[in-house]
Amino acid sequence: MVLISGTMLFATLLMGYAVYRTSAPTWPPAGTLPVKLVFPLLSTVSILLSSFFMHKVRTEFEDLKKAKLNLDTTLVLGFLFMGLQTLFWSELRNSGLLVGSGIFSSILYGFTWIHAAHVVMGLLSLLWLRFVLKVETRNLDVKVLNVEKFWHFLGIIWSIMFLTLFIL
Amino acid sequence: MSGGYNEIHPEPTTFWSKYIISFDHKVIAKQFLWYGIFFLGLGGLMALLIRWTLAYPGVPVPVIGSILFPNSAGVVPPDTYAMLFTMHGTIMIFYAITPILIGAFGNYCIPLMIGARDMAFPMLNMLSFWFAFLSGAVLLASFGLPLGAAAGGWTSYPTLSTLVGQPGLGQTLWSLAIFLFGVSSTMGAVNYVTTVITLRAPGMGYFDMPLTIWGLWLTAILNAIFVPVLCAGVILLMLDRVFGTTFFLAGASATSGSGDPVLFQHVFWIFGHPEVYILILPAWGIVSDLLSFFSRKPAFGAKATALSMTAVTILSTLVYGHHMFTTQMSPLLTQSFMTLTMTISIPSAIFFANWLGTIWKGSIRFDSPMLFSLGVVFVFGLGGLTGLHLGTVTTDLYLHDTYFVVGHFHYTMAASVLLGGFAGIYFWFPKMFGRMMNELMAKIHFWGTMIGLNGVFFGMLMVGYGGMHRRIYNPFIYESLQRLIPINTFITTSAIVMGAFQIIFVINFLYSLKKGPKAPNNPWDVGTLEWTIPSPPVHHNYDVIPVVKCGPHEFGNPNLTTGRDFQYQTEDLVKA
Ligand code: HEM
Ligand SMILES: [Cu+2]
Repeated sequence: MVLISGTMLFATLLMGYAVYRTSAPTWPPAGTLPVKLVFPLLSTVSILLSSFFMHKVRTEFEDLKKAKLNLDTTLVLGFLFMGLQTLFWSELRNSGLLVGSGIFSSILYGFTWIHAAHVVMGLLSLLWLRFVLKVETRNLDVKVLNVEKFWHFLGIIWSIMFLTLFIL
Repeated sequence: MSGGYNEIHPEPTTFWSKYIISFDHKVIAKQFLWYGIFFLGLGGLMALLIRWTLAYPGVPVPVIGSILFPNSAGVVPPDTYAMLFTMHGTIMIFYAITPILIGAFGNYCIPLMIGARDMAFPMLNMLSFWFAFLSGAVLLASFGLPLGAAAGGWTSYPTLSTLVGQPGLGQTLWSLAIFLFGVSSTMGAVNYVTTVITLRAPGMGYFDMPLTIWGLWLTAILNAIFVPVLCAGVILLMLDRVFGTTFFLAGASATSGSGDPVLFQHVFWIFGHPEVYILILPAWGIVSDLLSFFSRKPAFGAKATALSMTAVTILSTLVYGHHMFTTQMSPLLTQSFMTLTMTISIPSAIFFANWLGTIWKGSIRFDSPMLFSLGVVFVFGLGGLTGLHLGTVTTDLYLHDTYFVVGHFHYTMAASVLLGGFAGIYFWFPKMFGRMMNELMAKIHFWGTMIGLNGVFFGMLMVGYGGMHRRIYNPFIYESLQRLIPINTFITTSAIVMGAFQIIFVINFLYSLKKGPKAPNNPWDVGTLEWTIPSPPVHHNYDVIPVVKCGPHEFGNPNLTTGRDFQYQTEDLVKA
């Protein structure tokens, strides 16, 4: 029961790895309009900040109040990330880059969708943790650690995606 | 991580928690076993329909034809034929072999043979089965669609599998089913790996594990790494089909770059080649153990066997390109993949020689599990040899996509794993269900299967060598293939014979389940841990966690004073 999230982490890690493997053989898009970087950049900031607060949940764990506050901040930033992603998608659509317009947009949409789906799972496990913080104390450190790992993992994947998809 | 997880869980009391959403690895194993046997039957039936079409194209299928294909007067229509071979492959690989070998034996044997009370994550285990169940349900549902189920081959290459090649929901549901299956497998695999690492009984080093566990463990490692690759592939395929992305559509848009159908082949085989070893490794492990158990001799070079299985595991990740020699890769790449492929033969030959070394001069007991194990030695030896023809670029250019390939993988994969699976079922049935199976029926089943199987698969090698392509509806419209009609008829006859003998197995299985004589704790005189406890084991397996003092294959030691010719793993090793 307790270690589910720990295992989830594993599965997803490999999943993410796999997604990147698939990206390798087909890159350079020919003559695509440059994508506006505002929203991806803000997304990056928010998810990295949230990772920082998630880290603090564990390191400042002794004080339950503080832990809750840190967790709440993580949650807010996580939701902010999702909001920014949505804005990013609608901006893409408005600038005429539709899902079906070639491999470049396929990758943009496809990968951000897959990542977003994982963020949703991450948010769910954060909410679960928030709930658990209230009622339970057994093995709490393990649960926090596992959710934290998973959340960092999402941040790392996003950073890699940001670097490879938008910057390079 | 697992501290305290080897505790005794309270026994479930309601029907629901005992048999349906059970956390008990033994119950989950049986769930997987039933699931696998059901799909094995379904896949087998499809195989017979395929074979009928290839031997008697245009002739109505006897008995069931008019029910299944009323619109074509009982003849298998061409599009249905494509659907049949696609679903046959998919079902056999993912829904029959995987659940039986990995789901059932993995779940049953790992905790029992390493002296644990359950898996490391029992709940994950339960979820793994129910995801598999959901996946199977989705797959079965796709048969009911107006345009039928997927028909792009079990490999589902684009463009056959894109909306261009296949409109309709079938292929989409196929992808969804495979994705769910992948989630299930990954959950199972992570569980197995963790269990083997953390829950071995005190005193059990890695080389004290039975080779069965080695096989299952290596399989789980490959599963955990490569199944997600397939998942990624089918997700992209689903995005292409449902949301209009163009990952695998060539030339979809001239302005912004196009997708690449061959990309899918890369993704598929990065997964696909490890997958074939995922399927065979448990069977290798089981056979390595059983050969020793029934020769009453220590497994010859057991350590070398374990290590060469590990070597195969590692190498299997590096050879996938040999499935794609004909996709215009550069000669440098084909040569490298060819060399790496050939390198696999070395460790394979090592453990194969060890098998022979194990039975050499043994006092062999020809019980049914042993017969099936010897069968594996034979068919795997033969099938392995055909791999060399395909692994060599020059010969593969001719043989690729012929029935020779079909024969090759049926010998190595289908036949070996099927026989290995039967060996395992006959061997562990007493432990699982507490009753013995009927030996005579088992032996008849063995010989019938063995004869039918070789007729089918050797015939496939022959027609393939003769130039017959795979996946064609009616080979005999080509003049050059008409001389192969008699062999094709022979293959089909053999297939029917083989199918008929499986009925004996089903009868034996069901009858023994209810009426078989009660099994003693250790019917086969074997020293591994699961035989030290009652058949079937109690809910928490071991009242006291055993302490392991010697390896799994201690047979025929003349200094034994117990009156047995073997010793249990819990006994101090007697010096020979
Ligand atoms: C001696 C070791 C082996 C070698 C050198 C070898 C080589 C090959 C090659 C080169 C192909 C591609 C043929 C083509 O498409 O033209 C192939 C196909 C295949 N092999 Fe093997 N193989 C070996 C062992 C195995 C084993 C142990 C298994 C399964 C347990 C296996 C399962 C398969 C399958 C499933 C396919 C074809 C899949 C498809 O195209 O639908 N092979 N093998
Ligand atoms: Cu291969």
